[in-house]
Amino acid sequence: MNRGLALVSVLLFALSLMVGDSVFGSAPLSIMVDIRLPRSALAWLVGAGLGLSGAVLQGALRNRLADPGLLGVSGMAGLGSVIVFYWGWSQAFAPALPIGGLVGAGLGVAFLLVFAGRAPSGSALILAGVAVSALSASAMALALTLAPNPFALAEITFWLLGGLEDRSLTHLALAAPPMLCGMAILLRLGTGLDALSLGEDAAASLGVRVDSVLRLAAIGTALTVGAGAAVAGGIGFVGLIVPHVLRPFVGERPGGLLVASLFVGGCLLTLADMLVRVVPLLLPVAQTPPLGVITALLGAPILILLARKAAP
Amino acid sequence: MRLLVALLALILTAIGGPARAADRVVSLNLCTDQMLVLLAPERIAALSTLARDPTLSFVAEQAERFPTVRASAEAVLRLRPDLVLGTRFGARTTLALLERQGVEVVRTDLPQDFPAIRDWIRLLAERLRQVERGEALIAAMDAELVGSVGQATHPPNAVAMQPRGYTSGPGSLMDAVLRAAELANASGGRRMSAETLLRHPPDILVLPVAPAHPSLATAMLRTPAFAAIPTRYYRPAWTICAGPFTGRAVEALRR
Amino acid sequence: MIGLDRVTVTLGGRAVLHDVTFHPRVGEMIALCGPNGAGKTTLLRALAGLLPKTTPADPRRVAYLPQNAGSAWALTVGQIAALGRIPHGDTADAPVTLALRQCGIEALRAHRVDRISGGEARRAMLARAFATEPDVLLLDEPTADLDPAAAHAILALLKRTAEQGKTVVVVLHAIDLALRYADRIVVMRQGRVEADLPADRALPALAQAFGLPFGVDPSPRLLPPA
Repeated sequence: MNRGLALVSVLLFALSLMVGDSVFGSAPLSIMVDIRLPRSALAWLVGAGLGLSGAVLQGALRNRLADPGLLGVSGMAGLGSVIVFYWGWSQAFAPALPIGGLVGAGLGVAFLLVFAGRAPSGSALILAGVAVSALSASAMALALTLAPNPFALAEITFWLLGGLEDRSLTHLALAAPPMLCGMAILLRLGTGLDALSLGEDAAASLGVRVDSVLRLAAIGTALTVGAGAAVAGGIGFVGLIVPHVLRPFVGERPGGLLVASLFVGGCLLTLADMLVRVVPLLLPVAQTPPLGVITALLGAPILILLARKAAP
Repeated sequence: MRLLVALLALILTAIGGPARAADRVVSLNLCTDQMLVLLAPERIAALSTLARDPTLSFVAEQAERFPTVRASAEAVLRLRPDLVLGTRFGARTTLALLERQGVEVVRTDLPQDFPAIRDWIRLLAERLRQVERGEALIAAMDAELVGSVGQATHPPNAVAMQPRGYTSGPGSLMDAVLRAAELANASGGRRMSAETLLRHPPDILVLPVAPAHPSLATAMLRTPAFAAIPTRYYRPAWTICAGPFTGRAVEALRR
Repeated sequence: MIGLDRVTVTLGGRAVLHDVTFHPRVGEMIALCGPNGAGKTTLLRALAGLLPKTTPADPRRVAYLPQNAGSAWALTVGQIAALGRIPHGDTADAPVTLALRQCGIEALRAHRVDRISGGEARRAMLARAFATEPDVLLLDEPTADLDPAAAHAILALLKRTAEQGKTVVVVLHAIDLALRYADRIVVMRQGRVEADLPADRALPALAQAFGLPFGVDPSPRLLPPA
């Protein structure tokens, strides 16, 4: 299964390299390397990170509604990035951008684990997430309003809905290392999350250090989602969709979902970004839709479905 | 109670601002801001807030000395202006409200080429009763344009890329600047992705220098792969608004 | 071996365990009984080392099944039982299969726990504890909400396990089941151990702890399955 998904990932990645934003097919090496490679790689990495952290958050919080976008973790990451970017700190020191993102994401996920980690009822968790999302979105609008650049507020769509236009190798180099570190941390949590499905007491009695599992889940999520949102904005719903789609095929065991969620998340966002690029080639439109719009169109119906199932 | 009312009235009058002075001019648009600073600084009641932005405004430094005002009828009225400068399309509701309150409003069209710049300077100079200063500004600009006739037989192709990847098409101010700098504008004014630009690279890429404050829109102009194309830079403050200073952009791009 | 010596536990300023000394013996099945809030669950968690400031018990030797044990996810019975191997860090199949067989749910191995009966799901949780191959089983109300036949079956299984040389400590609300299956009954009230007696002599202490009269009831009653 996982080997098949890895193969599909490679094929999709190669296909994605063949789709330009103005023309299908191959292109001179410099365009392939400087323009298409960073975009395709970031699409896969960001999607994989969102899928994986969605699966981990759902396991850690024991709630299938958990998603880094829905719970405001991406929003907090965007807030951190916005502050670092528009006040010129990332101009002076480039790695400040992903650092800003992961500090914001870290604050968001820490709040959720403190608030909801011990009482994972669906409604309490979603309420906490709605609160963090609303707070981060309005704080972001405020930060953009106060930013020294008078046109910053116009760019709120990128930070709220995400996008991969004009991302360069620099962005890839900035975001990939923290994201890969985060993924490595998250992928090791399988056993802990399996044990946690029995509850914290039972998990502790199995010799699992629950606090350390939750802490590592927070750190790993902050690294992957934070660095991802710093370069790709707030792409939502991937972490919600991917584990939900996978459960009927690989089962509900949280640890068994991690690798599959990584690959399917990467494939999903690669496909979504290809769709974004081919829309102007196939339809007579001047603007490309923001990437997060595609994932939200896929994810919102699933959220409604899950919410209906969760309601008493 | 009566005392309270009297006090309140006193406070309100105080907030109402200084007594009416002769010939107070307010500008509500970055482009008219700059002309007002250049033509009649002694009569400025207020400028728009953008006038102080060094990336956008040629007169940012001088503008620091003057008050600024938002495009809000109430805020403008409090300044008791005799004349308000605006454009035909900006702050329409505010300007209409001000007119209804009896304030004289001048709406101008922003010029898109050098003959129009000269006409525009003359028009504003006349309204501000500074005809001589206006002619001096025109003469200074024309001095910078000397030597460019725009008649080179084989001008190099150039693409002027703006924030977010938009290009300057025919009829735009940048198009006039390129022609004056003896460059052929190779873009149609549509949005151009980084990939399209690299696929059909022009002889010369024309970019604004990095702004004082970053944005995603301008960050994309620093795409590392653009380094492969010969690039000439101009200051965005020279071309965001047309003005006598637009001649400097021609000088910078000509070489 | 696990045990408590003069342990006092305070939660939120209230002593939930007061100077409790308790030592289970090998091969013994002990029932913890007492009214709600007597401190039974706290005592069990203290034995498992799950309370703050207690040393965790060796998870390979001590298995703990919390009250209302369930799974947040619809795992299969086999997956639940396999979680019992986490302390050993292996995926050995033999102990899991044996545990499922002992609990009588080998045939349900591939079934999801949300699609089997409550008694079967409880047995799956028990199989998880058995799969660890522990020396000590700490079980909090393993028969709550079960029908009488299922409750008897589980306690008979625990009794057999104790007879095979394991130690079983089980919190029970059902006094009749405690009297029937336990070797020893520890009666608790208000955080204290009120009595620690062989099962056949525990009835008066139990009655006193619950504030119930006791005597001979001649009415017909159900007997456990043969």
